Amino acid sequence: MELERISVVLRPRESREALDLGAAMLRANARAVWSAWFAFTVPAFLLCNALAVLVGVPWLGLLLTWWLKPLFDRVPLYVLSRAVFDRPPHWRETLRGQHAMPWGPTFAGLSWLRVDSHRALRLPLALLEGTSRQRRAERWKVLRRRLVGEASLLTWGCLQFELVLFLSVWLLAWWLLPQEWRPASLATFFRHEVHGAATAWTLAASAVAYLAISAIEPLYVACGFALYLNRRTQLEGWDIDLAFRRLRARLQGLGRVLGVLLCLGLPLAGHAAVPAAPPSRPASTPEQVFRQPLDEGDRRFAAAAAKVYRDPRFGGQRHVRRWELKRVESRVDQPVNPGAAPLGMFSGLFNGLLWLALGGAVLALAWFAWRWRGAGRDATQPLAPRANLSVVVDEAPAALPADVATAARGLWQAQRRREALALLYRGCAERIAQQLQLPYTADATESDWLRHAATLGDTARAQRVVVIVRTWQFAAYAGRYPDQAAFERLLDGWPLGAGA
Amino acid sequence: MLDSVREIETPEGISLRLRAAGPLPRAQAWMVDTVVRLVLLMLAMIPLSLFGTGGLGLAMLAMFALLWAYWVACELWLDGQSLGKRALGLRVVNLDGTPVTWLPSVTRNLLRVVDALPGVYGVGLASTLVDPCARRLGDIVAGTMVVHTKETATGHQVPPAPALPLPLPLSPEEQAALVDFAERAGQLTVQRQEELANLLEPLTGCRDTAGVARLLGYANGLLGRP
Repeated sequence: MELERISVVLRPRESREALDLGAAMLRANARAVWSAWFAFTVPAFLLCNALAVLVGVPWLGLLLTWWLKPLFDRVPLYVLSRAVFDRPPHWRETLRGQHAMPWGPTFAGLSWLRVDSHRALRLPLALLEGTSRQRRAERWKVLRRRLVGEASLLTWGCLQFELVLFLSVWLLAWWLLPQEWRPASLATFFRHEVHGAATAWTLAASAVAYLAISAIEPLYVACGFALYLNRRTQLEGWDIDLAFRRLRARLQGLGRVLGVLLCLGLPLAGHAAVPAAPPSRPASTPEQVFRQPLDEGDRRFAAAAAKVYRDPRFGGQRHVRRWELKRVESRVDQPVNPGAAPLGMFSGLFNGLLWLALGGAVLALAWFAWRWRGAGRDATQPLAPRANLSVVVDEAPAALPADVATAARGLWQAQRRREALALLYRGCAERIAQQLQLPYTADATESDWLRHAATLGDTARAQRVVVIVRTWQFAAYAGRYPDQAAFERLLDGWPLGAGA
Repeated sequence: MLDSVREIETPEGISLRLRAAGPLPRAQAWMVDTVVRLVLLMLAMIPLSLFGTGGLGLAMLAMFALLWAYWVACELWLDGQSLGKRALGLRVVNLDGTPVTWLPSVTRNLLRVVDALPGVYGVGLASTLVDPCARRLGDIVAGTMVVHTKETATGHQVPPAPALPLPLPLSPEEQAALVDFAERAGQLTVQRQEELANLLEPLTGCRDTAGVARLLGYANGLLGRP
């Protein structure tokens, strides 16, 4: 055994975790394990069933297959042991390699140890260590300590898994069977008809059981092997052994390099002497490490660090307060007389509680209804969109002043520039309506007025309308206002100016 | 190297190790949970059976809760551990190692129906056997996994010995191996201790008992003892 070539991570694990390592080993080597498994067990399975049919007792095939499990276990164990310490073998190698493992323990397993619940753990010890029987008994005593429970649980668990897979196949088949093919009553089927069931059914059951065993038995062996590896890692410190071997190889390599350099006469004597130097006490205080006295900054840093460490969030001390009984007295309950009166009282109490719960539920429902009715009413009233444009227009519905330009200038000078521009725009719109002899409508949009302006027949005027509308739009939607001069230019001339 | 650990590296460069729990421990935990729930139901049935049909109805409600709400409630309020998982040292966590939240928990427990097909958890068993993190279908969909929480009992302290400085610098892994040796030396036989110490003759410069003593001294020095 060469420990350096091991392909699993060695560390002391809980035995339950070691079981999962077994499953991982099996998953990684699934191909090698199952190819060898089927190559070895299919002929055995066929032989068993053929024998059973020949003898005339069809269920014997199933029993024989089950009984031969300790024999079949040799195959996955061989593959896994080789895979872990070397590489997964081909199935031919596995079959040939069976001679290398002792047969005695297998015969024992097939006869008086057949119902041993520690088989999985016993297998690697018996088949891989290959020692004499007496020595094996001693090893077994050491190995099994603290693992007996886990090994038994493993056996029962795998038995359950086999049962689960077996039943799953049959239940699925039962579900897929059409209604008219099913026997009228399962009870009568198992009482009478099952005895007359055809050999084919028994053989099918045997085949399904064999498949279930094929799926689970390698897992059983792998888990047992993993338990064994874990126990030996604990007992012999295999992980430490590996780490020490690596360290040793590194040190030896280092020594060789140093030796070569020394021989070449390179001035490395100082470095080479480092390992041989007399051990001095390691520097542990800041003064020693930095070789200079502490200054004020260092002291402040140390104080700050100490303060931080005192912060409870950094895992300092924690005070927990809770109530505990001063005297814990073991209260002996009075034997309750199961008479009618306490029972009636209890039931009455229960009844009252139920009524209370019902009342509470009704109240809660009523409260909810009241609350959500209010919310619904609120929701049906649409929130008035706060559009300044409509507000401005609505505030001055009809009363357009006679001299729009003066009014607008007044508003502008009163710092109500938005209102001033709104007035300007409205005056402009009314002027267009006047000129085209259209009815003034409040719902006409800016683009409507621009379109109307285009029909005025005067390009300069249409251009001015465009400028006014754009200015108003910039002010209304973007809050960008013209300066004083530009505003004055808008007021002068058509449509609002004195000369218009 | 083969291991049953799912390793996650955080952006800070810390590697978190999630030790996936396989089908066997999980089946054992499920058994414990089932027995616990059956006992709870039986205990609830005794007083409820006195109330006739109403009691039967309540018993049905209790059964429904134990069948469906039990898992989610346990996973949310008992740190991702149902009672069986707690007994066996298992825990449900998200795939990135964070505690399981209610949506993944509900998902994985609703999909229990699929995993329980055809009535005996056949689908779930097959899924846990095949998946590298041993997840059943519900776990795969919900993005959760079941991990081992119990740490190995490495409580054996390093036996005190006069500290020795290391003769030459060692990498952190090598230092950890030295401390490991000192911690577990008590569990090894004396012969094995010496065998291991002899491996490190290039470091200690001596063999057998003296070598073991030296290694213990180094370990004490590494732990910062005087």
